Amino acid sequence: MSKIALAVAAAFAATLGMQGGALAQEKTIKLAGFGVKSGVLRLFGLNSEAALKAAVEEVNKAGGVKLGDGSKAKFELADYLDDRCNAEEGISVVRRIAGSDALIAIGPTCSNVAEPLYGILQKKVDDKGDTGLQFPILTDVAIKGGLAKISEWSFRNVPSEFTMYSSLFYWLKTKHPNLTTVYGGVEEDFAHSRASWYAVMKDRSAANGYKVLGESKWLLNDTNFSTQVREMKKANADIVAIAAHPFTTCGVLKEMQRQGVKPKLLVGLTSTSSMETLAGCAKHAQGLIIPTSFAPVTKESKHAAEATAKKKGAADLHSMAAWENVFILKEAIERAKISGNKDAASLQTDRRKLRDALAATKTTKGLLGISKRTEDREADKPYVFVHAKGNDWVVLHNPL
Amino acid sequence: MLDFVQALIDGILYGTTYALIGIGFTLVFGVMHKINMAYASASIGAAYVALVVGGLVAGASAWLVFGLSFLLGGLFGLLVYLICFHLIPLGNENATLMSTIGMLLLVDELIAHATQGMPQNYPSTAFGEEMVRMGELSVRGDLIFVFAVSVVAMGALLALLYRTRMGLATRAVAQQPVAAQLCGIQVVKVNALTFVITGLLGGIAGALVCSAVGTLSILITGPLTVKGLIVTVIGGLGSVPGAIVAGLLVGGLENVVLYLRGVTERDLYVMLLMFAFLVFRPNGIFARGAGRD
Repeated sequence: MSKIALAVAAAFAATLGMQGGALAQEKTIKLAGFGVKSGVLRLFGLNSEAALKAAVEEVNKAGGVKLGDGSKAKFELADYLDDRCNAEEGISVVRRIAGSDALIAIGPTCSNVAEPLYGILQKKVDDKGDTGLQFPILTDVAIKGGLAKISEWSFRNVPSEFTMYSSLFYWLKTKHPNLTTVYGGVEEDFAHSRASWYAVMKDRSAANGYKVLGESKWLLNDTNFSTQVREMKKANADIVAIAAHPFTTCGVLKEMQRQGVKPKLLVGLTSTSSMETLAGCAKHAQGLIIPTSFAPVTKESKHAAEATAKKKGAADLHSMAAWENVFILKEAIERAKISGNKDAASLQTDRRKLRDALAATKTTKGLLGISKRTEDREADKPYVFVHAKGNDWVVLHNPL
Repeated sequence: MLDFVQALIDGILYGTTYALIGIGFTLVFGVMHKINMAYASASIGAAYVALVVGGLVAGASAWLVFGLSFLLGGLFGLLVYLICFHLIPLGNENATLMSTIGMLLLVDELIAHATQGMPQNYPSTAFGEEMVRMGELSVRGDLIFVFAVSVVAMGALLALLYRTRMGLATRAVAQQPVAAQLCGIQVVKVNALTFVITGLLGGIAGALVCSAVGTLSILITGPLTVKGLIVTVIGGLGSVPGAIVAGLLVGGLENVVLYLRGVTERDLYVMLLMFAFLVFRPNGIFARGAGRD
């Protein structure tokens, strides 16, 4: 009996010891990334994940993030969840993240996920009649214009295509005043491409004095572009602007070469300024001009690119937004004086504080320079124009 | 009018790729009365592995890659048969359909993981960049090549089916498997060989499609599967000549509709054509009695 009592006492003491050990452990602030990690867009998710890991490691190496009580906490990155570029899965993923002890989610990749996803969030904070999810999301990739205004819990760190293409067409007009016409090519069934052509490229080129002769349309999965490129050939525009992702952009460029369609200038979609395009059709994409919010032209951007490469990711405007997001959150968390406590009430209070801090943020430090935050929770980021040269994207013009 | 004719020619030539895929679907259905949904993805899978293996050989030509794709297609066809058909109890009607859908998704995802979703440059044939001019009309040289290879492949397949004992056994199993078995034909062996043969055809089809597109990407497999099924239905389940004609018909129609009505209505009309056949000619183009060859 005394032996049993001794054993029980020893076990009890060990348990107390473990709890004491736990209390002495450092606090962590959990971030959760999500996006596409399967299918053809897998690379976006892999690159974002690598950038997040690299940035979190960098923050932690520098001591972590300061909490409201003055102590320091390390960032903890949850497993990067796959939404498969599917709205229902994206919503399910975010609900799962919101049910965990993550403070905020960084994602998604696809605009067709972001739009409905923001729709399930509470539209206006403190609206007691709105039972939407009260969970902050800071988006790194989904770039279709004007989405963050859907909910006061949604924030984006993506470049404004409207601003970039406005600037691009203005610059092209001043540099090539003899070029007067534009013809478009657009993926009709992809939210980003469609919005980028109709609401951005077409509008901005016309606003800068170009005559838009029309557009050819295709679908994301199309492989035969003979009819569309013949339309393009007939239009004989000075500039061809292609609002499509790498797969169909390459298909169209190859068909253009076959049919001898040689516009004076080629303009592409922001997402096409990636290694995917050069892997698929570097030869045909030579000279393709694209505005982008990332190029390794500053010390910070080169360092971020190298750090991400060490995590087996590639640096582009999308993945580097994920990197920037970690540092944006670090500053916001410190200003918001987050408690870092994991009980449900404190966690929700912290999420609200972080949301408010992000909403109050006027500028953030990006890899190319200072980004301004807008009233509707979007970013006004610095950008450069790149063009495909050899097997790389090279800066053509740096308006910075 | 010229543009219309051009669109029609472009579409018909591209339709040979649909015909190749449709033949694979229809041949399997003809023999086993089951659909192999993984056919297009296995074809693209063979093309991908051929590209990787060919890439290991320094200075490998497009012909080596195509040849490898042809052989790997046969191997993958056999694997699909063994995993998705041979091991599945015959009594369960829908099990093979589900298993091949699973195989389609698996192959797609394996390629996505192996390539990180990046499209892979695919070698073109000798006529990859050529355009053959015929007055005001022009035709892609590589599509003429695809057309020619498809015709040869289809001819070889028809010769195999109608001029060899193996072909005779295949047709016997397709018509009456029990009677064929009673006559001493090994049904399992014939089924396996059918998958090998369609796989060989699929390997060539996968390589030619990727060559015509210029890149290999899993974005190709979904539409190719759908078009292959449509061609199979329009051509008549089990009819190889029907699949050939249907492939050209579907290719021509979709490009003409694209020219006349735009891309947003293109697939709508192709589906309407399929429904029209299902309603008015359910046994396909060359419907004849039971509609099976």
